[in-house]
Amino acid sequence: MLVAAVVAAMTSFVWRRNKSLGTGVVTAATLLAAAAAFAQDDLVRRGEYLTAAGGCISCHTMDVAGAVPLAGGRKLETPFGTFISPNITPDKATGIGDWSEEDFLRALWEGESPDGEVYFPAFPYTAYTGASREDLLAIKAYLFSLSPVSQSNLEHDLSWYVSTRLAASAWQMLNFEPGRFEPDAAQSDEWNRGAYLVRHLGHCGECHTPRSSTGVLQADREMAGSVLGEEKIPNITPHPDAGIGRWSKSDIEYFLDAGMLPDGDFAGSSMGDVIDDNTSRLSREDRLAIAAYLMSLPAMADD
Amino acid sequence: MPRKSIGAILVVAISTTLSIYAFAETTAEDAAQYRTNVMTSLRGHTGAASMIVRGQVEDGGHLVAHARGLASGASELARLFPAGSNVGESEALPAIWEKPAEFAAAIDKLTNATSVFLAAAESGDKEAIAAAFRDVGGSCRGCHDQFRVAQE
Repeated sequence: MLVAAVVAAMTSFVWRRNKSLGTGVVTAATLLAAAAAFAQDDLVRRGEYLTAAGGCISCHTMDVAGAVPLAGGRKLETPFGTFISPNITPDKATGIGDWSEEDFLRALWEGESPDGEVYFPAFPYTAYTGASREDLLAIKAYLFSLSPVSQSNLEHDLSWYVSTRLAASAWQMLNFEPGRFEPDAAQSDEWNRGAYLVRHLGHCGECHTPRSSTGVLQADREMAGSVLGEEKIPNITPHPDAGIGRWSKSDIEYFLDAGMLPDGDFAGSSMGDVIDDNTSRLSREDRLAIAAYLMSLPAMADD
Repeated sequence: MPRKSIGAILVVAISTTLSIYAFAETTAEDAAQYRTNVMTSLRGHTGAASMIVRGQVEDGGHLVAHARGLASGASELARLFPAGSNVGESEALPAIWEKPAEFAAAIDKLTNATSVFLAAAESGDKEAIAAAFRDVGGSCRGCHDQFRVAQE
């Protein structure tokens, strides 16, 4: 938009100064403006796709019919208390409308707000830290293309021993190392894409990997299942009995697309929201990449 | 209250609300087992249909048969949940009887989705088939979310 306006202004200036150049410049300027608009549209579209891949909507939208997407207010029950997701629409007062690109990257890569406040790891910056700059800025462009929604954030309701931001800082200092995803050259492109989606953007481990008593994901039990509130989160390692070892790659892909289990059952669970808001919106190639990565994990029996 | 009228009330209650029992001497256990069997048949049809829809198995004219099975199963759903049949291995949630309007709406959704799917299967239009099948799955899932015991 801004680019288009600047180009238009320049054009009218050149037009007035030199009429003989006019027609050519106007044509070039129109093309340039159109190209810039297309590029912006393209960025926003990519951002929309990546927002689905990043699972932003499920947590940042209230769990009631008719809730405004991404305006926050959803409760996340954890052993440490109840977290309430914030508004991430571009409203300047109650959302993230004032954030610069660097603010956005710092939040997702480092787990720090523009004011330097450390986030609780309920916000999965520990996973997003691996996401690429390009992808995150596309997500930001998409979020900023939406209508701002004025909806004030609610305070988390946490146990006393984690209720200060000091606890979040201490946790981060002890348990977090920022860093981008590095593709594994020994693996296929498909595997690497799957690893990026599962470990980082899609942050599947936030629910599917068990945590220690201090809430740290247990890397040696990646995707081996966990408990969230009252819900048992399944083991999705390739273990034939405890996990999904009997599922074909196509079974996994189709589950992420439509929610059907290989036996034809359509199970309803919190994964239903993940399928509706995230995985069903991905390309088939990306779902197959997720399947390829999951199928490569070590098979884990239940504890 | 005289015994006769109690008996009459019981008969009326049974024959109106529990038509499945009135038909034969269906026990609560039978009703629950029958429900499970119909549901299992629906699962078989969705599982089989999905493999044709995904192109893993040749259609050979059988998708229409599975779609018909789903449509007829869906049309039977309303009578599968007589009060008092939540026994044994039943996975029904009490919400089915506590929120009859919501439950009826969920059944309607499936009934519509399965008839759209049947029409799509008969037309042979692959895109329409895929979209309609996704809606069938979505209505199964939506109903299970609210009215079936969470699966592990």
